Amino acid sequence: MSTTSETKTPALEDWMYRGLFQQVPFNVAIIDQDYNIVNANDNFTEYFGPWRGKKCYRVYKKLSQPCLGCNARLTFEDGQPRVSDESGVDQHGQEAHYVVHIAPLRKRKGASVKYIVEMSRDIVETKNWQMEYQLLFERVPCYITVIDRNYKIIRANENFRRTFGDVLGRQCFEVYKKRRTKCPNCPAARTFRDGQVHRSQQVGIKKGGDKANYVLTTSPLGRQGDDVAHVIEMSMDITDVKKLQKEVIEAERLSAVGQTVAGLAHSIKNILMGLEGGMYIMGRGLQRNDREKLTQGWDMLERNFNKTTSLVRDFLSFAKGRMPELEMVKPNALVEEIIDLYQAIAAEVGVTLTADLDPKVGTVPLDPKGIHTCLTNLVSNAIDACEMSDNRQGEVTIATSAKKGAVSFTVTDNGTGMDSDIKRKVFTTFFTTKGGKGTGLGLLTTRRIVKEHGGHITVRSISGQGTRFRISFPKSRLTTLYDENKAEQVLKQQVKERS
Amino acid sequence: MSQKKHVLIVDDEPDVVAYLGAVLETCGFVTHTAQDTESGFRLAGEVHPDLICLDIMMPKESGLSLYRRLRTDDGLADIPVVIISGIENEPEFDFRQLVSDSSIPPPDAFFEKPIDVTLFGREILRIVDNRRSATARRKSGTP
Repeated sequence: MSTTSETKTPALEDWMYRGLFQQVPFNVAIIDQDYNIVNANDNFTEYFGPWRGKKCYRVYKKLSQPCLGCNARLTFEDGQPRVSDESGVDQHGQEAHYVVHIAPLRKRKGASVKYIVEMSRDIVETKNWQMEYQLLFERVPCYITVIDRNYKIIRANENFRRTFGDVLGRQCFEVYKKRRTKCPNCPAARTFRDGQVHRSQQVGIKKGGDKANYVLTTSPLGRQGDDVAHVIEMSMDITDVKKLQKEVIEAERLSAVGQTVAGLAHSIKNILMGLEGGMYIMGRGLQRNDREKLTQGWDMLERNFNKTTSLVRDFLSFAKGRMPELEMVKPNALVEEIIDLYQAIAAEVGVTLTADLDPKVGTVPLDPKGIHTCLTNLVSNAIDACEMSDNRQGEVTIATSAKKGAVSFTVTDNGTGMDSDIKRKVFTTFFTTKGGKGTGLGLLTTRRIVKEHGGHITVRSISGQGTRFRISFPKSRLTTLYDENKAEQVLKQQVKERS
Repeated sequence: MSQKKHVLIVDDEPDVVAYLGAVLETCGFVTHTAQDTESGFRLAGEVHPDLICLDIMMPKESGLSLYRRLRTDDGLADIPVVIISGIENEPEFDFRQLVSDSSIPPPDAFFEKPIDVTLFGREILRIVDNRRSATARRKSGTP
């Protein structure tokens, strides 16, 4: 390009040639048809070293003959510009990665190409980033997938492929959960909708059929117009943590069962005493032909026999370590059932039983049998508390509510209430204030069921004024449990199908 | 003709009260009953029985606190007390540890529920007789 005409160019053209040539952030070289470098800017010299009188392949790649599949040759032939990724050697002998834009230089359109200009830029750093990113993506101890708007997996990392199988092109719900349709409450769908990050606990099925518990974070990736084009799903496997958690709950339950067995002796002794007493008094009645004594003895036998039954039933219900079986149920309907069951019993002892139902509660996943047991325990306690109280107008209310992402049941009474000493002991084994009437297991069983649902139980009570028990269940925990239940069902089904 | 002896039964369990009452009536006692420590203490003062049968585990206040009150009350301290409880006598039941006051003497007898009726009746009669002869000795001044 060093022609004599350049001295006559106007100032701008001069700058365009000298200034721009030097200032563009590229390594620029002009090459003739014989691969000679006829000119190059300072960037080029700095990157590749001296070039005067040298062939391009020698300077770029330290080769002694033209590169195989030389792009420059093609541009000389067809006059088309080209872009390519190349690897060469820089002036310090280090491996160089660069992207090259090749453009033809000719006097007019259609004329043959005499020179080409090669503009290259170093991409070593970008390459390194890419490698780091690739390594991170593949090796991070999480499951990562990228899905498109049809929920098709377009990328999956090594950990994911190892756990869930080679799954490119398949839909995520099929792969993660072996489902045929989109999951309800899909966090990826929410991210597609609002472009925000969402997080939730999920239960999936691994390729071998094992259950996987994981915390999933969905995040938007790229846009198509206003829409999120892809979503990246990153999951942390917490199966082991869950397993440990379960073991801890189981250990707690067993230790409580152990304590209970020890405490059981006391209840059994009282019952035995009652049974022996009944027999003794009946014996006296028979000796003396005393009908009154006979009846008294018989009543004692009957009462203590019933106590045995309820003790055994309560104990078994407490000792049973079953996971809640969640179904979609209406909490309000559960409360109405309890009201039906206890209305007459409450009325007999002059207690009014009412429901205060929040229509917002709707339908939630709960174990109806477990919740029934809890409410039965709380309501019968409340009625007893009213019966024991001096207050003539006994009132028990069962309320439901849906607040702060939790569903709760509240049982309130205006009975005897509890002092701090009793409040401290209500959840201990065999503690009862009902004398022989209680087994001391009701609240303990209630608490166990509530805990197994991932919920909590609280009590507020003022001595002489009344008591309020509340059991509440965070919906997110219930949904996770429900998914776990479902996953287990799917697993069982698969095992059945296989066998 | 000797006067009938009185026994106070303190137990929250109505069936236990009925049972012990029947046994003690057969032994010739007049029985009084209380279902908690408060009315038990009151009745003890009113009736001044010849013996008290006391349960330990009761809902409101433990039988041991009533025992402590009886033993530290000048008027009631010498009434024999028999403890009848579901708590095992040995080795779980360590009276000393439960009462935690060395100046308080142990009960006159201890029975574990369910009781052996014959043994129970014999022991109660022995305790009451001992007390009667001790009182008689005190009155006549003989050692």
